[in-house]
Amino acid sequence: MTTSKTILYDHHTALEAKLAPFAGWEMPIQYKGILAEHQAVREKAGLFDVSHMGRIGVRGPDAEELLDYLSSNHIMGKEPGSATYTVWPNEHGGSVDDLIVYKNSDTDFFVIVNASNRQKDLDHLKKWAQGKSVQIEDYFEGNGILALQGPKALPLLSSIYPEVAQIKPMHFIRKGYIYLSRTGYTGAGGFEIYAPNEEIVTLWDRLMQLGVEPIGLGARDTLRLEMGFALYGHELTDDIAPTESVSAWSVKYDNHDFLGKEAMQKKEGRKAYGVLLLDKGIARQGHPVLFDNKQIGEVTSGTFSPTLNKAIALILVDRSLKIGDIIIIQIRNTACQGQVVELPFVRKNK
Amino acid sequence: MKYTESHEWIENGQENIVRIGVTQYAQKELGDIVYVELPTTGRDINAGQELAVLESTKAAADVYSPATGTIVEVNSKLTDHPELINQSPEDSGWIVKIKVSNPAELDLLMDRQGYDQFLNGK
Repeated sequence: MTTSKTILYDHHTALEAKLAPFAGWEMPIQYKGILAEHQAVREKAGLFDVSHMGRIGVRGPDAEELLDYLSSNHIMGKEPGSATYTVWPNEHGGSVDDLIVYKNSDTDFFVIVNASNRQKDLDHLKKWAQGKSVQIEDYFEGNGILALQGPKALPLLSSIYPEVAQIKPMHFIRKGYIYLSRTGYTGAGGFEIYAPNEEIVTLWDRLMQLGVEPIGLGARDTLRLEMGFALYGHELTDDIAPTESVSAWSVKYDNHDFLGKEAMQKKEGRKAYGVLLLDKGIARQGHPVLFDNKQIGEVTSGTFSPTLNKAIALILVDRSLKIGDIIIIQIRNTACQGQVVELPFVRKNK
Repeated sequence: MKYTESHEWIENGQENIVRIGVTQYAQKELGDIVYVELPTTGRDINAGQELAVLESTKAAADVYSPATGTIVEVNSKLTDHPELINQSPEDSGWIVKIKVSNPAELDLLMDRQGYDQFLNGK
């Protein structure tokens, strides 16, 4: 497979980023270091090139109905200019992907999906759009995505686009071909910007001149994990139901018929929890979780939380646990104690 | 010092108790080290066997013993200060001391010049 490069590839190499293949893209994993980058986002602001993520247009008289049927969250009746997080369940009650649905109007939407699932999502959309009045367009070529995240994101971006101060969280505005969206996946507040490549380069350069730190995908992962946000391939898979994940809050059963709903209601049984490690060690995906000397599940994601200075993990288990329960995570030859805690691990700064 | 292709170093002195650690190149590749899983002292270890695990913010990496011997001491400072490996990988960020059982084994490893050439070839 050939790897794609974002329009900012040369910028990343000039900044001496450590690059690695990710979902078919050569992406910056880190610049200065994950800990320093993580802290920059929590305390100031950081800029991510997330142009690898998929952007797919869904338009037409049946677009809203289709997206509402494919999503476990409500899409129907959302106001224009809103951005909605949802999981797309599959027919077996597992998860196709998690994504954000952007609504321009009742007949004009686009979705931002995980890079690794772009083709699967396109196929899924096309399959269920058959016989409906919906056009699906992949914005793979010529477009990019930036995420400006952190408490200083608002003053920084409003120095370029004063109108962003009016955008409510989980909403967006359109400025020509540029979409300015008050969304993100770090819990630090901020914006995501969808634009043609030439605008992406201009904006990246301007924000760099304003002193914003570039942030790689490594810190993106530690930031999202501190918030207890799902990452597809970890907390959500083809076999894990949205209701068995930390994204369960986004599933709306009431007055909502959606693909995979019944299968999901039959399937659900496992539960997702956040765990703070009490012993030293770093839990990773696949490490067994034990309770009462019995394996009850696995770690889906684990890392070191730079904010808490402790190791944290998300687990998927087949029994209910209470906040405060002590479980064991088997890390290679070591049994590490962990405590079930409320999510997010780190309180949001707005 | 002698070096391995898996980026460990081992002291190569007159003494047969020597320090082992990872190279500057290795720490740069791994990024911020946040935890070091150290072995227990007294354990016998073969050349090429897993000696310790370095956990970075991103992933876990095994450290292999460059030589056969017995672990006589571990760098317990790493328990609370894993960042020593980033700051000083080839000195105060050493990982274990071993008593080498077959010093001739070290002759098979690369010297600094050989290791630098190996890195340049990557």
